[in-house]
Amino acid sequence: MSSLLPFIPTMASTFAVKFEILFWYITIVTGIAGLAVYAGMLYFCVRYRRSATSGSTPRILGSTRLEIAWTVLPMFLFFSFFGWGAVVFNHAAHPPADAMEVFVIGKQWMWKAQYSTGHRVIIGGNPRNMNEVERQSIGRLVLPVNRPVKITLTSEDVIHDFGVPAFRSKIDVLPGRYTTVWYHPTRIGEYHIYCDQYCGTWHSLMVGKIAVVGEQEFDEFLYGIQPLQGTENPVDGSLAQEGRQLFLKLQCVTCHSANAVAKAPVLEGLYGTRVPLKGGGAEVADEAYILESILKPRAKIVSGWEPIMPSYEGQITADDQAALVAYIRSMKRGTTPDVTAQFPAPNGAPTERPKQPASPGGK
Amino acid sequence: MSIAVIHGGLAASPPPPEPEPATPNYLNNNYGIWSWLTTVDHKRIGILYLISISIFFIGGGIAAGVVRTNLLSSTGAIVTEDAYNRAFTAHGVLMLFFFLIPAVPAVLGNFLIPMMIGAKDLAFPKLNLASWYVFIAGAACSTWAILAGGIDTGWTLYPPYSTRASQANVVPGILGVFISGFSSIMTGLNIMVTVHKMRCPGMTWGRLPLFVWSLYGTSLIQLLGTPVIAVTLILMGTERISGVGIFDPSIGGDPLLFQHLFWFYSHPAVYIMILPGMGVVSEVLTCFSRKNIFGYHAVAWSSMGIAVVGFMLWAHHMFVAGISFYSALLFSFLSMLVAVPSAIKVFNWTATLYRGSITFQAPMLFALGFVVLFVIGGLTGLFLATLGTDIHLHDTYFVVAHFHFVMVGGMVMGYFAGLHFWWPKMTGRMYSDWWSRVAASIIIVGFFLTFIPQFILGYHGMPRRSPNYAPEFQIYNVMSTAGASILGLGYLLPACYLSLSLFFGDRATANPWSATGLEWVSASPPTVFNFEFTPVVVCGPYEYAIGVDQLGRGLPEPPGPGSADDPASRDGPTGPAGPMKKETEVVG
Repeated sequence: MSSLLPFIPTMASTFAVKFEILFWYITIVTGIAGLAVYAGMLYFCVRYRRSATSGSTPRILGSTRLEIAWTVLPMFLFFSFFGWGAVVFNHAAHPPADAMEVFVIGKQWMWKAQYSTGHRVIIGGNPRNMNEVERQSIGRLVLPVNRPVKITLTSEDVIHDFGVPAFRSKIDVLPGRYTTVWYHPTRIGEYHIYCDQYCGTWHSLMVGKIAVVGEQEFDEFLYGIQPLQGTENPVDGSLAQEGRQLFLKLQCVTCHSANAVAKAPVLEGLYGTRVPLKGGGAEVADEAYILESILKPRAKIVSGWEPIMPSYEGQITADDQAALVAYIRSMKRGTTPDVTAQFPAPNGAPTERPKQPASPGGK
Repeated sequence: MSIAVIHGGLAASPPPPEPEPATPNYLNNNYGIWSWLTTVDHKRIGILYLISISIFFIGGGIAAGVVRTNLLSSTGAIVTEDAYNRAFTAHGVLMLFFFLIPAVPAVLGNFLIPMMIGAKDLAFPKLNLASWYVFIAGAACSTWAILAGGIDTGWTLYPPYSTRASQANVVPGILGVFISGFSSIMTGLNIMVTVHKMRCPGMTWGRLPLFVWSLYGTSLIQLLGTPVIAVTLILMGTERISGVGIFDPSIGGDPLLFQHLFWFYSHPAVYIMILPGMGVVSEVLTCFSRKNIFGYHAVAWSSMGIAVVGFMLWAHHMFVAGISFYSALLFSFLSMLVAVPSAIKVFNWTATLYRGSITFQAPMLFALGFVVLFVIGGLTGLFLATLGTDIHLHDTYFVVAHFHFVMVGGMVMGYFAGLHFWWPKMTGRMYSDWWSRVAASIIIVGFFLTFIPQFILGYHGMPRRSPNYAPEFQIYNVMSTAGASILGLGYLLPACYLSLSLFFGDRATANPWSATGLEWVSASPPTVFNFEFTPVVVCGPYEYAIGVDQLGRGLPEPPGPGSADDPASRDGPTGPAGPMKKETEVVG
């Protein structure tokens, strides 16, 4: 059992504030009106109960003045709700021109996001409806704080709804057409995404997370060196993810593996540490050091290891070098791929589902 | 006192019970199942409907129990996701299509409309019987679909889920709704024609009881709206069976087309559900406060206003569904307009209590409960009609709480008020006064405990139709379920004491509440043709202040505190002008 919810839910976007002010305006106005009616009813029920009256009642048929008053006055209040609501809605319906773009696809029962930079994240869903690769890369939609972001959404199958209570935002996600919504996140934190349109058996597990992060962390996320999306590996589509593919392709993993019989040092958590060198001395493992170790592996040998690594000078392009450095920079403890790991297909790539026994619970 | 006499005179045997006078009425006119199944008497058909919809109310209530119990845990306490989805769909389909829509029009409307306007029967008695058979056929079809595997689409049936993805009994389910829709059309047509053509001499439109006005508005919606849902369901069945693309975009259809068509009926349909309740409340509040209704014409025309404007705001269910910005503006604006007549009614009801002489029997408690709960239901509707707030609140528990306040807090309370008010007329028996007051109080309290936490959940963003939810929502779901168990107990009580009253209740007099309507002129229970003579109406429906019914005859003393010992009541017989002692002050 959890504790009580806060009085006002977290407000994590500019729109959330606009919503709350309007919400409380309507709450206060309707609250006063409702309580006034209750007070009137209560007073009349007590004051004019049978035992307090003679039993005879006046023949009151009505009052045109009162009828006009309580027709016109509520109408003006209702129209004030409409007008204010329209202004707030106008704000929500029209994203600013400079908004960063993210594309979100809903399907039974998961959400996938693609950034305009090519990064891809599975931002939530029911693990039972996913294949192994998808299951391992369930992450979060990472958004930078204080920067407008426009989300364009569509569905692969039935109608879903992308709702983020902390942003007070909601939009239906339809097959066969695009809908858009935008946010201006103002508060760093992690927030719920719900599917708010009933979409079948696992509708209630079609949930996800949004992580609003600082500008610098967001850049690191895009680069791939901060897996803020919530999975261990660099985000799909980042430079570091590209480096990871190369790391597997070029067979680096064969020697730099995490198992006990490895022929070369494990690279997890290497970046930024002081590396003891054979023959004394040490060196901080920065980009220059890592690049040098790839191109001229025998220049500096790590203490305790044999100089057996071949040189990759002239073998890989400068682009690939940058990707490999980014990946090695990004390697966290426990993220060295298994030597037998397959190349994972990028998330959202049009691949056939791998032939494997049906995952438990899924259909 | 009589007790003393009995104690003192043990030797003397109590006087033999008087043989009950077997006055002929519609219940004892003839017997046997066939006399019921082939009856064309509007009163008997009303009773047939009463029995049928009570069964569906129990069925829908059991489904609600499954839903609420399952929500005790954030991962589903008792059933699987599939079973939960089928349970909330069953709850919605049974309650909306087979309880709320026929509740007041087909039960109380059938029974009372002819009596209130001084007619022998509805205009088309055989059509009336046919409507019940059609209703039962449709209900049987949907019930079979629900029991044999279930429907998992929600009562809103949104495609393409319902036409492509759902593996459940969608077609028999919608076939049942389609069939029972004709029953609704028949009842609406019958009531409309009856009100137009069958009013007794003197029963002008300005003297119609407000219950008749509200059912007239309801019938208008039933007549004009129901064909649209019929068309929609046919299109949907066609797509599901034959794969012709109508709503599914992958085969060339448009899912928003369905939503427009569906809500074009289903939004007015909520007024089918609430308007009759408003009519009941107007009858009950006047009777138990012994007052004329405040602003008869305002209340009557606001019913018609709701019925007409109610057709123009269907797309306020679709603000975030992908409709254009400008249509959202238009439908939000029109939604504000429909709130006005509801507000007018509430103000007029409150003003009716002013300077009344109020007693609090069960019908009055239910009617006051209606007003209290409907105020919250109506005002929270404004949050959803306002564009800026609907974006967040749409499809959350806020919506669930809002429409339960209107549909259950409003309509079911109104139905119970009406059932308790006219029960003596329908059955000729009085039910337990004490137990009925207790039940009304428990229902109101249980209702608040059930649905107020849901407003909080919705404000915090909990989506509806979710058996799994974030753990921080659990405490409010537990509160809501606790309240629902109190509410369920409250609903069991009337089932008990009303059933018992049939066998053990005191015999009701013709006019136990001292009410003014023509239906109270007839005996309790009424004779087969309602009236011994053609009534001639001489005045409006709520002349409680003067103390005359619509025939201009004096009213009996109203029940309630003081009626036995109050000097006023010792004036006894009520002559043609009512209790002579009564001073009457004419205002307005």
